[in-house]
Amino acid sequence: MSAASAREATPKLRFTAVAKEFVAPRTGKRTLAVTDVGLSIEAGEFVCVVGPSGCGKSTIMNLVAGLDAPTSGTITMDGRPIAGPGADRGVMFQDYALYPWLTVSQNIGFGLENGTPGRGLSRAERDARVRHFVELVRLKGAEDKFPHQLSGGMCQRVALARLLANGPDVLLMDEPLGALDAQTRLILQVELLRIWGETAPRAERKTAIFITHDIEEAVFLADRVVVMGTGPGRIRAILPIDLPRPREEGTRADPRFAALTKQVWELIRDDAYQAIG
Amino acid sequence: MGLSGFDHHDRAGSGALDAAAALRRQAPQRLRAALGSRPVAAVRSFVVVLGVWWGLSLWNANPIQLPAPPAVFAALANVASDGELLENAMISTGRLALSLVIAVAMAVPLGFWMGMSRRAHAYIDPVVEMLRPISGIAWIPLALFIFGVGDTLPVFIMTYVAFFPLLLNTIAGVRGVSRRLVQAAETMGVSRAAIVRRVIMPAALPSIVVGFRLAFAGAWAAIVAAELIGAPSGLGFAIEWYRQLLMTPKIFAYIMAIGFVGYVCDQLLQGLQRRLTPWTDRSRG
Repeated sequence: MSAASAREATPKLRFTAVAKEFVAPRTGKRTLAVTDVGLSIEAGEFVCVVGPSGCGKSTIMNLVAGLDAPTSGTITMDGRPIAGPGADRGVMFQDYALYPWLTVSQNIGFGLENGTPGRGLSRAERDARVRHFVELVRLKGAEDKFPHQLSGGMCQRVALARLLANGPDVLLMDEPLGALDAQTRLILQVELLRIWGETAPRAERKTAIFITHDIEEAVFLADRVVVMGTGPGRIRAILPIDLPRPREEGTRADPRFAALTKQVWELIRDDAYQAIG
Repeated sequence: MGLSGFDHHDRAGSGALDAAAALRRQAPQRLRAALGSRPVAAVRSFVVVLGVWWGLSLWNANPIQLPAPPAVFAALANVASDGELLENAMISTGRLALSLVIAVAMAVPLGFWMGMSRRAHAYIDPVVEMLRPISGIAWIPLALFIFGVGDTLPVFIMTYVAFFPLLLNTIAGVRGVSRRLVQAAETMGVSRAAIVRRVIMPAALPSIVVGFRLAFAGAWAAIVAAELIGAPSGLGFAIEWYRQLLMTPKIFAYIMAIGFVGYVCDQLLQGLQRRLTPWTDRSRG
């Protein structure tokens, strides 16, 4: 067996019987956020996680990011258990988590400037990288603005650029396009796929976990859609999305796109109705 | 006292901006807008206060208790022109600046420590909570025994007064740093030390700056009491000096000077606040 095939045998990320319980600090009340999560994600795979609110989507992301530890079960990356946060797993938070005292450029370059991703890079190389991602997310002209001067959509693009500038192996995105208007959202979906490496061979693609509540978005982006349910949060189904890549405007007209969307909705529907009471 | 006053001030500021916009729009509204604008409103208030003051002094008819405005302004011109007002003001503001520097040097590092370590907070907070309600003025008699009359006593009292708002605001600022901002740095491989320097410090800065303004206001209010008793110079000492000479107009002149210097310093601090923490200023955007 060659080294290459041995590497293929180890998934990029593997969840084994993962459960996470939260204990309220004062009351001591226990809440089971997710339970019995088993999932393997291959390197270069784009996985979307959908589910109604309260199904533990964000919990899953925090566990992979290393910001939380599972109560039981294990999560491994390249075969090694995740011990804490690290720059190999970049996170784009739902609330962007931009630094209000830094400009757009400084926010995008924050990891390069202060964290491990910038190690070994000269100042000129860092600046060039920041400029590259500023252009990529179409923020040219806004480099020196502060987050409080930007619209929600622009903040989101800053957060996306910051994530990408750090060049993580694994992209963790928690509803990253949620605050955008419908048109910008469609444009950025296609762009996100391009940045992820849709047109590149699979070995050069990044591994992505993308959390969304938008079923069409999930089907459009993903190689596989993980459907989660509530009470407690658990995986209800995993659907392979066999739509051809690269995906573009025409993908949505594909009859299989409609069928898959319908299939995901049927899996979520009961939980979703319960969630709104 | 400080915070609610500042808020009111800011609102008045945006009102002036609105007035300026109206000025450009329509001519008939100009007069009303001009009368409602901030400088004009301030002048009107002063005229009313002056009128009431003059009336009271005529009714009271005892210039030792309440001199008439012209006597006070003459006294003000007198102490201003012979340089003693400036000299005393410089001495007082110098003491103030020294006290604030010492208070910042002690309270801010301690506040960071207490804000980040639950243990440190648990040990030190009870002591702080016990000392905090004690007015700085209560320590003056004791400080007289220890330091005697001189520069040290007012500086000690003002440092004591400035220390608590700075400490409490630093702790609140450090504790109030969004967890998300720290987590975001962690997921970018930023070290613990760099997180303190690059995330917690700037995120806590707005609260520390507010603490500094409160510290200034408290210290400036305490300086008169401290200099009244424990110093051979300064604005507070001058008031006491002219009290003994029964020269009430000069007492009033110095009281006005204390108010004026305090106002100017607060304006400077507000400007500093806008420069240091522009992202917290909601009126710009």
